[in-house]
Amino acid sequence: MIVAGVDIGAATAKAVILSDDKVLSSSVIPTGYSVVMAAEAVTKEALLRSGLSMSQLEYIVSTGYGRRAVSFANKALTEIICHAAGVSSLMPQARTIVDIGGQDSKVIGLDADGNVSNFVMNDKCAAGTGRFLEVMAGVLGVEISEMGAISLLGKEPCQITSTCTVFAESEMVSLRAEGKSRENILAGINKALVHRIAIMGQSVGFREKVAFTGGVAKNIGIRKALEDGIGLKIWVPEEPQIIGALGAAILAKTELASLTQIR
Amino acid sequence: MEIMHKLASHLKTRLVELNRAKQQGRKIVGYTPGGYLPEELILASGAIPICLIRGGDHSVVELTGAYLCRWIDTFCRAQIGYAVSGDDPYYSIVDLLAIPITDNHIRAISDITDHSTDIEVFPFGVPHMKEESTFSYYLHGITRLKAKLEALTGTEITKPKLREAISLCNRERELFREISLMRKSGPVPISSRDFVALNHASFLADKEVMVEILESLYKELKGRIALPDGHPRILLTGSTLAMGDSRVLDLIDEAGGEVVIEEFAEGIRPYWENVNPDGDLMKALAECYFMQRVPPAWFRPGNERRDFLIKLAKDFNVDGVIWYQLMYRESYKTESYYFPDKLKRDTGLRMLTVESDYDPSEMGPLRTRIETFIETIRGKRHG
Repeated sequence: MIVAGVDIGAATAKAVILSDDKVLSSSVIPTGYSVVMAAEAVTKEALLRSGLSMSQLEYIVSTGYGRRAVSFANKALTEIICHAAGVSSLMPQARTIVDIGGQDSKVIGLDADGNVSNFVMNDKCAAGTGRFLEVMAGVLGVEISEMGAISLLGKEPCQITSTCTVFAESEMVSLRAEGKSRENILAGINKALVHRIAIMGQSVGFREKVAFTGGVAKNIGIRKALEDGIGLKIWVPEEPQIIGALGAAILAKTELASLTQIR
Repeated sequence: MEIMHKLASHLKTRLVELNRAKQQGRKIVGYTPGGYLPEELILASGAIPICLIRGGDHSVVELTGAYLCRWIDTFCRAQIGYAVSGDDPYYSIVDLLAIPITDNHIRAISDITDHSTDIEVFPFGVPHMKEESTFSYYLHGITRLKAKLEALTGTEITKPKLREAISLCNRERELFREISLMRKSGPVPISSRDFVALNHASFLADKEVMVEILESLYKELKGRIALPDGHPRILLTGSTLAMGDSRVLDLIDEAGGEVVIEEFAEGIRPYWENVNPDGDLMKALAECYFMQRVPPAWFRPGNERRDFLIKLAKDFNVDGVIWYQLMYRESYKTESYYFPDKLKRDTGLRMLTVESDYDPSEMGPLRTRIETFIETIRGKRHG
């Protein structure tokens, strides 16, 4: 059976096409201003890569903050449920997921069956999210993709006390004026972000294995800081950004299977 | 339900009715919700009680920014916004605003209303522990209120009048209790939205009309056969569920959950206990409104409320608990961190905490949290 998962996040839209257990293709595009258009575009791109057409998709699950705008989906499920399914399929031993996306961050607890047992999400503020890193990269004139590698060179992380993105931005400006190195400032940013995640996740608890997903998981500096911050080794999937879409596709398969059974 | 329409039309004309009563010389006494104000005293003085229970609107919350520090509870900031802006006609109509000071947030309503409006405010303190000395303190507070009401209306609150008011209010509580208990297990004959609407209406409606409506609703519900539904059953608890703040109830509904019991410090009338109509009536009022009242999260120790929540969860056969707190009500925030462990230990149930500042931008994350929670319960039930 051929199914799709479409994850419309605040910053990027993701799609995964699944044939039974095999990932046929995936795609990631910026969400832009129209979630409806992004949903269509990202699905079409993934279809193109697998040489399939829309009509061949037997079931589609949408997820992410724009999940309800995906008119062609058969079902909408939250990104928390989908991340759990995505991570469990790749790493069944995972008991905690740290997901840091463009606009929000979450810590999800999993039970032995890989189901969500508990979760926390950040509030409407951008602190502790990909957006926070984006703003800081802008201030420091660094490419987002380079941020992680540069930050690892910072041996004396600056102390960044503001968790608010706007205040942190002005803190950045003063640190620069004090002549602090970019490396140390970036290392400090990572520490500040992870600190926030660690506090937020306290009510869920961090239990091994800890999976790290979302676009920010591509940042090697944050990975390192997260391991130091929670004192546990973390596991990062090969493509951390598409785990929500992958989970949605897996759940699409389950939904379809149960429908076929009923028939 | 025809009865709900009848209630809605009563509320529609309520302000006109109140204005007319006021012109004829009746006094209207407002009070803040929280369950510590014996309406019986107001009724027995011949005045009309009105509870100020509106909320859910962010724009009035913002209005208070000029004279309040940000970390005052959202509902309380909203009340101040209504009072000072004159946006709520119920605030403009009251001759006296009686405020049982339950915590610092409610105190802010009292202070700012007193300072910034022409409304006469009558505050009295509510202690945070239950013992002999605090019982006397509370009794002293409502005794002062009694004298104040007598002075305001020029009517003596006699024992027969007070007893009559107690019996009317007891009947109202009894009916709420009986209707609520119909939701203990199996199919639910009344939705939480309707039950909450009834509760909110009871804060504004004429007491006799309200009791009449509840009587006929009770009869109707008893004869009704509800269909089994299989939706996850939810205990909804928290600090304040205001009139007009239906977002969480709506989202639970949309996600396929069914709230079967509500427990709030403010917004749901305490209906579990009645006032003893014999003996010393003032003491009986204090006994029911202070000693027997299940205390909110700011009481200490907090185990009475926690135990009560566990009992509700078991009695009403729920599948999960949703804890809805408003921003900056620190007592609820603290309890929301400790309570899930006890809940899990005693019942095996999970709890979701959601928080609001009545801000429309919270809608997306709120929906994600509630949908996920209901979905995980459903997944667990189906194994």
